[in-house]
Amino acid sequence: MTSDDKAIGRVTRCSTRGFVGAVRLPEPEWPVFGTFCRAEAQQGHSQVIGLIYDLSIEDDELARQLAATESLSPEQLADSQVNRQVPVEYRALAVGYRHGERFVQSLPPQPPLTLAPIHRLSDADVRKFTAQLDFLKLVIAVQEIPVDDLLAAALQTAAAARPESERRAYLVEAAAECARLVGRDLTRLESLVRSLRP
Amino acid sequence: MGLNLPQILGQLEKMSAALAEQQAALRRLLPAARKAFEHAASLTFEELDAQVKRAGDRYRGARPTEEPLLAVFEPPPLDAGLVVAGADGSQIYPDRHAPALYFAVQVGGLAMEIGSGLPPQVRTQSQLYYQQEDLHDQQGYPIGNAMVNGRRDAQEMKALADWAGTYAGRPLVALLDNGLLLWFALQVREQNQKDVDLILQAYLGNLDRLRDSGGCVAGFIDRPRSADVLALAHLATLPPSGVSDEALRVNPFRALTDRALFEELLQPGQRSACFIDSSPLNEDFRKKHHEVLFFYLKTDSRGTIARVEVPAWVAKDTALLGCVHAAILDQCRSTGGFPYVLVRAHELAVITNEDRQQLEGLIQQRLLESGLGARPSQKATTKRWTRSRRKHRL
Repeated sequence: MTSDDKAIGRVTRCSTRGFVGAVRLPEPEWPVFGTFCRAEAQQGHSQVIGLIYDLSIEDDELARQLAATESLSPEQLADSQVNRQVPVEYRALAVGYRHGERFVQSLPPQPPLTLAPIHRLSDADVRKFTAQLDFLKLVIAVQEIPVDDLLAAALQTAAAARPESERRAYLVEAAAECARLVGRDLTRLESLVRSLRP
Repeated sequence: MGLNLPQILGQLEKMSAALAEQQAALRRLLPAARKAFEHAASLTFEELDAQVKRAGDRYRGARPTEEPLLAVFEPPPLDAGLVVAGADGSQIYPDRHAPALYFAVQVGGLAMEIGSGLPPQVRTQSQLYYQQEDLHDQQGYPIGNAMVNGRRDAQEMKALADWAGTYAGRPLVALLDNGLLLWFALQVREQNQKDVDLILQAYLGNLDRLRDSGGCVAGFIDRPRSADVLALAHLATLPPSGVSDEALRVNPFRALTDRALFEELLQPGQRSACFIDSSPLNEDFRKKHHEVLFFYLKTDSRGTIARVEVPAWVAKDTALLGCVHAAILDQCRSTGGFPYVLVRAHELAVITNEDRQQLEGLIQQRLLESGLGARPSQKATTKRWTRSRRKHRL
């Protein structure tokens, strides 16, 4: 099993706009902001492509107790940080779906199934999915999430999935698409382009 | 239908009033209990021991050791390089309504090298039992929960002995989240002598391994309800000629616990004198040189009292007993009076309802793939229907 095949959680809540995943994993295995992931939908006929934009650690009473104590030993601290499987919840924005071998960059026809396993998208699939940049429109249209940071993280992830020789050209193309989409707001565009610099 | 709260609320008020009255009655009893204990402490060890011998097998209480009854002991400094290990177990009991008849035991444990700054080593061992000989006792009857508890307890001790083996030659305190005596044996020994003896011998064998590795072991009982020391205090008040079944039975301190007594007598961090557990089961342990003794320990400044059980080879070695005392207190500092390694061992061992449902789904799937019909009983199925009733959210 490769690291791409290993589930990074299961769907707990979902809608056509996105889904929430939960998992208990040690810290080094947590997904990161801007990770592309996939979750099964339509009884296995399609897979929703998600872009992780919010990670939170669920309430854990032992962690709270330890945080409040003055007598925490270095071994207990190391145990909590390395061994304990902390319950992590994350939100993913639906940015497309996969039907057979084809990726489509629009909202999926149905949300994923509850408890569907969530996997990271492999580098090959990230390259394939992000070859088109129509998903940027779906991200920019969302309110109340850090859209610009998410765009930058997603595009950096997409660039990192490509050979080094292609990365700069990919980011330049992506920046041009961003300019088309947010061109009326020059301050915002400048900040976005800055964060896309390799 | 959930709990009928309107009906329960009325009963709760009566319950709290009754409990308050009980507490007040117990508080009134405590000075007399303390006086009886002080009287017992004024007797010599020989006098007290003679009184216990007079009571014979009828007596169910603590037996004194050579430590003065009223003695209290401060913790020694914690040994540098000490390893503290903990183990705890969890189980799925056999259920005739499940897709297949089986039971499972899972034991979690960890070992922490004090002062190293390293994360502890952790282990979890899971075992499914599904063979006919696992599921039936020697008379061919389906086994009950007590036998499953016995298997779990034996595996917990094995986990601790394994840790002691891993750290052989280093100072190690192994903690169990329970007493050291195998209580299941008292419950089912008459019906299952052979099976119980097998488990008991395995358990005692692991205590041998632990001792031979150079470690020491203690059973930690939080919020103990025993009144063994109070039974000794009562026995000490009886005149030698008055020790009878009836006199032993009419113990005025029966409603109290030793915990209440030692809450008053101990300061935070102090332990009481050691006592010997007079359970008939302790005779099996004594024959194998693991007779169980216990002491009470105030584990934190809020007054939490724990009962700590140790084998005689720990109790009689001042250095080992001090090591157990200091290690438990150190472990209790960050977790409000309960040892950290046991908190984590429980977390590693626990089998949740969700785990059980997942396991039973997998069992059902595998059996179906093998062409075997496997489904829960209709009763279990209908319970699941009603349990999964949807609630409307506002």
